[in-house]
Amino acid sequence: MSTREIFDSRIQSGLLLLPTLLVSVVFLYYPTALAVRTSFFDSSFGQGDEFVALENYVTLLTDPGYHSSLLLSILFAAVVVVGVIAVSLYLTFLIHEVDTGQGLYLISVIWPYALPPAVGALVFLFIAHPTLGVLTGPIEAVGVDVNWFNNGPQAFVVVALAAIWKQIGYNVIFMIAAMNNVPNTLTETAELDGVTGLRRLVSVYVPIMTPTLFFLVIINTIYAFFSTFAFVDLLTSGGPSNATNILIFDLYQEGFSFFNFGVASAKSVVLFLLVGVLMFVQFRVTDEYSYYGA
Amino acid sequence: MGELLQYAKRRADSLRGDNVTKTTYDAKPGTHLQLWLLVFAVVFPIAVAVIVSTKQTGVVTSLGDLLPGSYAVENYREALVDYQFGRFMWNSLAMSVVIVVGKLVVSVFAAMAIVYYRVPYKDLVFLFILFTLLLPVPVRFIPLFQLMNDLGWSNTILAITVPYIASATTVFILRQHFLSIPTSIVETAKLDGVGPLRFMLFVLIPMSKGVLVGVSIIMFVYAWNQYLWPLIIIDSEANQVAQVGLQLLQGDVQGGQLSWSLVMAGSTLTLLPPLLLMIVFRKPLLETFSIQQK
Repeated sequence: MSTREIFDSRIQSGLLLLPTLLVSVVFLYYPTALAVRTSFFDSSFGQGDEFVALENYVTLLTDPGYHSSLLLSILFAAVVVVGVIAVSLYLTFLIHEVDTGQGLYLISVIWPYALPPAVGALVFLFIAHPTLGVLTGPIEAVGVDVNWFNNGPQAFVVVALAAIWKQIGYNVIFMIAAMNNVPNTLTETAELDGVTGLRRLVSVYVPIMTPTLFFLVIINTIYAFFSTFAFVDLLTSGGPSNATNILIFDLYQEGFSFFNFGVASAKSVVLFLLVGVLMFVQFRVTDEYSYYGA
Repeated sequence: MGELLQYAKRRADSLRGDNVTKTTYDAKPGTHLQLWLLVFAVVFPIAVAVIVSTKQTGVVTSLGDLLPGSYAVENYREALVDYQFGRFMWNSLAMSVVIVVGKLVVSVFAAMAIVYYRVPYKDLVFLFILFTLLLPVPVRFIPLFQLMNDLGWSNTILAITVPYIASATTVFILRQHFLSIPTSIVETAKLDGVGPLRFMLFVLIPMSKGVLVGVSIIMFVYAWNQYLWPLIIIDSEANQVAQVGLQLLQGDVQGGQLSWSLVMAGSTLTLLPPLLLMIVFRKPLLETFSIQQK
């Protein structure tokens, strides 16, 4: 029987694994355990801890501010995920359809993968600035009063647009690979059956691409919840009146503006559970699709 | 009935691939037009940033003001020297290189132990490493902050590099790649009596060049774009990274002490390293992504 397991020294394999395991235990597992422990204490920066059992969690359960932050995060994630998937899917389809200039089109839409969120945020702050923005004039000419420093819903839209823009590149990278994997014969059969244009995208490509699309929905959800911190911090600081105060920003403020490490730790534990659920769903669904050989 | 037969014949023909004229989808100029518009939308914000970084004041209130200015050299010099962006960029580069090299070495070790050693419990160890996917920075930055204070690492390069060295994603991608190297090559190496160190240096690494370049780019972009953790743990300007340097510039421009053209110069500088790497190494990058999804 052929095998890849050509070495059997336990000491060697232990040494090879040691650095990864050591860093994982000290900087990933231990801090997580510490967060769980601190979530049961009344812990403020530089002060002694006092055991308070579930009080911090009760605080979260009864705090309307936290509830609205949770709802806001879900709404934000929904808008970002739907926006990113729709725009990226259509872009990928158009690129898939052309023969000339495909490579150039591809690189000019996947580059935002490399875009630092902080840069994206500042550029958006500039082009959509209520008084200085280059886009503000044209938008106001259509009859919208650009005022997102004070208008909550507008601030939400600006942060969401910036977040969608940054994530297009990553999505197109995966979508183009999946779409190129659709057998040519299938495309030709669809054409012969008169399934053309957008209908071919929706009823032929999308079903075949489902595993990739599902993977992207999960990745984009995690992105919207956690990796959009820089957009919120630089564009709105969670305002106006908490209109963009998503969970990750709320957690940051709890820890480093109010120094409530006990409550902040409880909020970290909630986020951990959230990531856990998302990963679990992804794992289960990916598993299910793998039976179809996709 | 006749219709159905014809339909079936067409289907069969197309599946066999004969009697079918190759459909050219490129006939529609509308597709190119739509692509042009969408590419324009995706590139526009950054194009504005680059143009504004060459102007004197950076006041661009209408589309007509979008002509390049002649202050490029002046602005970039001022950003790099007077506003310390040279220093921030250097710190970001040091952080990213340490993370990339560290992750690469440590993950090649771990993946090699997992694939090429016959030792007990290694599946369990692999799961233990994979489980850290559930513990991204946003879930544990509060306790990590406390841990860094206890270790005395706050405000040092250790704090912004060491916690990133263990990487479930990288170990996973490398493991998948190692499993695709033919067993015949591995067995030949074994018959030749090649030891583990020589196996790694002369078989494994040469056979993994593309993937190693691909994961390096993914890790560099990830490290360079980190914002939240440096913001929390680095509190001196001398040790600050470019992403947070942008936040400092933003503070100055909101306070009216700084022109937007300098902020856009800083933004352009911060975007360049990951963008150039991505464009130059797009081929291995895209190939590596296709492994990650599996």
